[in-house]
Amino acid sequence: MTDLALAVENPSVAARAKELRDEQRFARHQRVDRMFSVLLVVQYVAGILGAWAVSPFAWQGKERVLHMHVWVAVLAGAGITLLPVLMAWLKPGALLTRHVIAASQMLSSALLIHLTGGRIETHFHVFGSLAFLAFYLDWRVILTATVVVAGDHFARGIFWPESVYGVTNPEWWRFLEHAGWVVFEDIFLIYACIFTNRELDAAAVRQAQVEHLSEQEQLKSAALEMALAEIRVASA
Amino acid sequence: MKRTTIITIVITLAALIWGGTVAAAYRAIRRFETTPGYAAIAPAEWPAASTIRRAAGEWSLVMLVHPKCSCSRASVSELQAILDKAPQRLRTHVLVFRPNDVPAGWERTDVVESASRLRRASVMIDQNGAEADHFGGFTSGQTFLYDDRGQLRFAGGITSLRGHAGLNRGRADIIEIVSSRNGTGTHPVFGCAITTPAERKHP
Repeated sequence: MTDLALAVENPSVAARAKELRDEQRFARHQRVDRMFSVLLVVQYVAGILGAWAVSPFAWQGKERVLHMHVWVAVLAGAGITLLPVLMAWLKPGALLTRHVIAASQMLSSALLIHLTGGRIETHFHVFGSLAFLAFYLDWRVILTATVVVAGDHFARGIFWPESVYGVTNPEWWRFLEHAGWVVFEDIFLIYACIFTNRELDAAAVRQAQVEHLSEQEQLKSAALEMALAEIRVASA
Repeated sequence: MKRTTIITIVITLAALIWGGTVAAAYRAIRRFETTPGYAAIAPAEWPAASTIRRAAGEWSLVMLVHPKCSCSRASVSELQAILDKAPQRLRTHVLVFRPNDVPAGWERTDVVESASRLRRASVMIDQNGAEADHFGGFTSGQTFLYDDRGQLRFAGGITSLRGHAGLNRGRADIIEIVSSRNGTGTHPVFGCAITTPAERKHP
């Protein structure tokens, strides 16, 4: 974030620029929170439908029971989705809300990856989600998402390595290879967030300066009107 | 009660559910994916009672498949990976389980369809699991490798987890054994049960 007080000499203009910037950011954060709340619900429903379509039942001979994937999609999906959706509607725009959303979105990715049997194509959900999280223009949110993804891979790599790497004894650093591709995307997204914020800050400063100039002009006009009125009174 | 207090309570409860769900889901999924099916009690020599003819001088690969087992899609996919790398002489059979008293077409599923698309493999119906019985297998995805003298070289699964395609010990072992014509191997099998040891003992 550019220091607006340094960018603008006039403290009142700087204060107004900061106010405009914070309003815009808050409105953006609220809007993206609500977009994510819809997305999370859509993902939840899609996860259940996907699990039902791909593996509805587990079998023993000719007997069948509801497949574990369906239970996981319904119950784990609900648990993951509930908190961020509630926060998006009860605490929209709050810092904690978007971090919870980022973590939940990554957990949804992990769930979808699991439900599709670890399909490599489903891993693209992680990258798409990171790009969507960049809509917040808050690079810290991208870091939270990355930590959740890396943490998931690290924990599974330690306790459950076959689920990530397909082998039982991967090197301890293998999670870094996977997380590395996420970091690769992060670099560009974080740069985009910082760069766009600077542009928005500059726009806020320009708007504050325009407002300030407009106020100055109005004051000048008012003073002029007053002076003219005094002259008219004196000449009469 | 103030609105902010209610919101805090609701969010705290949701956060507890969120944390609990994540922990419980990891535990449940891990247990589900890593728990293997019943391992085969495979005969050391090609079962004489089998109706599948073993070609003299050729190695044979047999896989049991439950047609409704979604996890077996991964096993079929891994079988293709083995066939792509194994020498041409490997004769491969996919035995599709079909119970006696089920409607016609019961066994026609995408799993069987993908098995029928395997290159260099024949798919046949295993009526009521008779062949699975001869080979001592219980679980969909169970794979047996017999050498050119009819000796068992490998019995196990060819996926790393339940429903997970990709690099795994079972696949690597079979390719290694067939290519080097040496060694034996085994690997846990992950899939739906065709039958259980108890059912087989007391049908």
